[in-house]
Amino acid sequence: MSAFVEFRNVKKTYRTGEVEIEALRDVSFEIGKGEFCVIVGASGAGKTTILNILGGMDTLTSGSAKLDGVDISQLTKKQLTAYRRYDVGFVFQFYNLVQNLTALENVELAAQICKDPLDAEKVLEQVGLAERMKNFPAQLSGGEQQRVAIARALAKNPKLLLCDEPTGALDYNTGKSVLKLLQDTCRNNGMTVVVITHNSALAAMADRIITVKSGMVESMRLNDEIVDVEQIEW
Amino acid sequence: MKLSALREIKSSLGRYMAILAIIALGVGFFSGVRITTPTMVYNMNGFLQEGQLYDYRLLSTIGWEKSDVEDLASQPDVRACEGAYSADILCTDRDGKNEYVFKAHSLTENVNKIKLTSGRMPESPDECLLDAKMGGMKNSDMEGSSVIRIKDSNEQETIGMFRYRKYKVVGYCYSPLYINFERGTTSIGTGSVSGFMYVMPEAFRSKAYSEIYVRFDEDETIYSEGYKDYMDAHEDLWERITREHADARYERLVSDAEEKIADGTRKLEDNRSEGEKKLSDAEQELAEARKTLDETSQQLAAAKEQIDSGRAELEKMKQQLGEAAAAQLAEQEAVLDASEEEYEKGLAEYQKGEDDYASGLETYNSNKQNFDSRIADAEREIADARDAVASLKKPETFLMGRGTNIGVACFENDSDIVAQVAKVFPIFFILVAALVCMTTMSRMVEEQRTQIGVFKALGYSNGSIMGRLMFYSGSAAVIGAAAGYAVGTMLFPRVIWMTYQLMYVDLEMKYMFDVKLAVISGAVSLLCSVGTTWASCRYELSETAASLMRPKAPKAGKRVLLERIPFIWKRLRFLVKVSVRNIFRYKKRFFMMILGISGCTALLLTGFGIKDSVAGFADVQYGEVFVTDADMIFDPEDGKLPESVEKLLAEHTAEHKLLRECSWDLVTKDKTKSITLEVPENYDGMDSFVRMNTADGEPVPVPKSGEAVVSRSLEERYGVHTGDTITLRDDKLNELHLKVIGVFRNHVYNYVFTCPETFTEQLGTAPEFNGAFMNFAEGTDEFKEAAAIAGDKAVKNVTVYSELKERMRKTMSSLDYVVLLVIVSAAGLAFIVIYNLTNINITERLREIATIKVLGFFRSETSAYVLRENIALTAIGTLVGLGLGILLHRFVMGQIVVDMVSFSVRILPLSYVYSVVLTFVFNFLVDLVMENKLERINMAESLKTID
Repeated sequence: MSAFVEFRNVKKTYRTGEVEIEALRDVSFEIGKGEFCVIVGASGAGKTTILNILGGMDTLTSGSAKLDGVDISQLTKKQLTAYRRYDVGFVFQFYNLVQNLTALENVELAAQICKDPLDAEKVLEQVGLAERMKNFPAQLSGGEQQRVAIARALAKNPKLLLCDEPTGALDYNTGKSVLKLLQDTCRNNGMTVVVITHNSALAAMADRIITVKSGMVESMRLNDEIVDVEQIEW
Repeated sequence: MKLSALREIKSSLGRYMAILAIIALGVGFFSGVRITTPTMVYNMNGFLQEGQLYDYRLLSTIGWEKSDVEDLASQPDVRACEGAYSADILCTDRDGKNEYVFKAHSLTENVNKIKLTSGRMPESPDECLLDAKMGGMKNSDMEGSSVIRIKDSNEQETIGMFRYRKYKVVGYCYSPLYINFERGTTSIGTGSVSGFMYVMPEAFRSKAYSEIYVRFDEDETIYSEGYKDYMDAHEDLWERITREHADARYERLVSDAEEKIADGTRKLEDNRSEGEKKLSDAEQELAEARKTLDETSQQLAAAKEQIDSGRAELEKMKQQLGEAAAAQLAEQEAVLDASEEEYEKGLAEYQKGEDDYASGLETYNSNKQNFDSRIADAEREIADARDAVASLKKPETFLMGRGTNIGVACFENDSDIVAQVAKVFPIFFILVAALVCMTTMSRMVEEQRTQIGVFKALGYSNGSIMGRLMFYSGSAAVIGAAAGYAVGTMLFPRVIWMTYQLMYVDLEMKYMFDVKLAVISGAVSLLCSVGTTWASCRYELSETAASLMRPKAPKAGKRVLLERIPFIWKRLRFLVKVSVRNIFRYKKRFFMMILGISGCTALLLTGFGIKDSVAGFADVQYGEVFVTDADMIFDPEDGKLPESVEKLLAEHTAEHKLLRECSWDLVTKDKTKSITLEVPENYDGMDSFVRMNTADGEPVPVPKSGEAVVSRSLEERYGVHTGDTITLRDDKLNELHLKVIGVFRNHVYNYVFTCPETFTEQLGTAPEFNGAFMNFAEGTDEFKEAAAIAGDKAVKNVTVYSELKERMRKTMSSLDYVVLLVIVSAAGLAFIVIYNLTNINITERLREIATIKVLGFFRSETSAYVLRENIALTAIGTLVGLGLGILLHRFVMGQIVVDMVSFSVRILPLSYVYSVVLTFVFNFLVDLVMENKLERINMAESLKTID
């Protein structure tokens, strides 16, 4: 399988005044299309930086990052925005729903700026929220909110679904059901999903596991024994 | 704790500056506007103090003497007392090209001291100082003219008052008597005084002083209560002594004159008796001479007879005696011849005597005639003098305070306009400042919720936590208040004074520090900032540390009313829906924004409206109400229009309407008010002279006998309404009772119009016409025509209305800078409010904005997402502001009261446009700044935990 996502010798240094921080020293990895990939690492290992770069929210210092053959590192600011708009879907740890919009409207907010969006209501039905579409985020539980967030990302019909600690703010069972949703999405829709987490237990459910440590890729392996979400415990 | 407070300021400099700026703006405006009138008065007072302006100006119809001055100077409390001469005189410049009317004054030493602007003081009586106004005039021929000449066409009496016929100009000066540009009116020349001129007292030749200036030993500020009290305390005494001195002088004048008459009579009598004696002596002499002559003539006749008889005898003897006695006869004949010769001589002498007598008689007769006529003259003169003494009227005296000086009186009114405006605006600014502080601080408290919780958990007391926040807002308020106070009090008086400078003496506005105002400003701004801080964090502090450290549940979304109207809601674009919901989500911010923006629009509209109303009243008055070209006042001749005037009117005007114009008092329950009563000969074609329309533009009915129409000012200020009966009284206490049948639009002066029949019916006589409205023919030069009419002796005054209009417009332009200040302040207000609220809006929704950026909103879409709300709020605010502005404008115009003038309270359509456009421009400028801020929002914010 040709590499759908490809990082080559990516280096990222932040400057804060006189201090230089090397967030990524030399990162190279690749992810195939339709894979469910978990990037795992401790706090400060550099996984968020990878997500930022892959999500088009940040630039890299050197090296190259490609998605579907397009070199993200070469894009202009405006192109980066377009990249985020059309190619990537985000799921945040804290859902980041717009409080003043109903569940349906939150999905529409993303859908209405895309070229080829999915039907918002259908997506919400898919994530199991057909009954709560008209509710405001404040009226939804954390898991439901995260489902809305996932629906919002999916409605954009992106090439890549990026999830940043999607279960971080959720309780155990809810977290599991959200992960299940992500895994099903990957399996059923052929969506490439990248989940970033510090919880190495989640790695068991992934097709590909990338371990990051101190700004370097410690290991990258394909999972031979994919475990169903229900069986994972942490 | 302190360090953390400073760091806090540094990290949120924008917010800190917003509080600082709004406080600075509020305090700056408040203190600036408040201090303007006092500063102007303070500086003017300084000028008048330096010049030692008089407290009393004493006038008497018979003038004053040196002894009066000396006597008055010795009264208690008098610092200076000096007599002065003054006269209006027609002059030309060196070449005689231009004519000027000067008010000539004698220099005084210790009161009304002039201030040289250039040149030097006069050192000899033939030197003079001129009005600085004339020295500064551009293109003035007076500039560089070092000599002025008194014109021959002045009245002989006036010319006689001056020792010289030309004066050398040695300098220019200001006089405390003329602080405003008005130089007054005069009965000579063009009727208005071009400027004043000062000469040494020796340059005058008058016997009596024209006026006495008194300056008391006080240094109270003009217009102050202290000054009024001081003057009140002296008024009675001075009324009395002025009267007494004038009376005494009158007595002196009368007794002097009587003494002189007595002297004259005595001398006349002496002369008469002496003359008569001389005449009788001469007569006697003549009689004697006559007698002698008569005797001589008799003697001569006798001698002649003797000679004749002798000669006859001799002839006889000659014949009798013949030749023999010839020798004897010859001898006798020789004797006879000698006698005859003697006789001839005597006769000749007699003839001469007769001649002498005749001439003597002639001399006598002429002497007698001379004497008679001289005596008669002297007698007539004495009789005249007696008449003069008899007719010498008891003097009238005038004790005039400073209020009668045009400049001093005008300045009080003019400077007060700003004070009136000062009553309203600042409150508004302070209110907005307080609200801005409140929203900003409550936002800050909200943001720092966790931190407050941490401090609390660490064991800091509520007081010290609040102290930290109070230090933040309080220090911003103190710095802002100090900066605002300094800039406001420095800038406002100067800018506003620039407008007044056109009308008043050139004064430097010295800075005035008002402790009370500074303390009030500081206190109010502290209250605004610290008070609102306390109000907004009081609630948070009452929570427990633990609950504070838990994130506050985000404000739940809510449907808005509009959604219940699917007809409209469904039609809105998705993002518009979002905006609509956001606008109504944050009520506090919504109202703040509406208040700030509507305030800005209202201020702008008021500012422009003031300009419209003030600039417009002259246009309306002389363009829409008094549309006549000119009016004139003449002296009626036997109660009729003089023929010469009638001829001039026929020649120089296209049409005219005669009228009776006079001043009457409107008598109401508690006061009397002087009004101008106009009685036109008839109301036919009145529209081409005066258009009397109601406020709605409907023409008012024509008054019939016993009826009147009145100008609107009477309705506004004295409550005269249609249907009322008003009472008018003239100085002879005649009364007119008129039923008001209409109120017409009018802006200058108070008018009552009635018809001639009213006079005939109520006073028993037809009105005596003394004036006329005049319209000149198309294409003629109205000034030339007016001048031609004004040239007639019977014509007292001609007023060309376009000139009047221009003058009024100029006077009112002083408000232009006030308007500019209002506009600039409104801009400042709008900018700070919009900036601050948008800033709060953005910081509050940082996550949301970061999220939509991550979702891939383009730059313009992101800005639109947030700023669309601003535009919508600006639109709503502007609408509200227009309504508020109309009210505010009305209120402010009600405060600006200028005597005799009622402004047309109006706002031109263009002003609405300006106000709306400017509000949007300010909003747009803020949006530009904000767009950059949005651009800088880091998308990683969206990944952060909720803090």
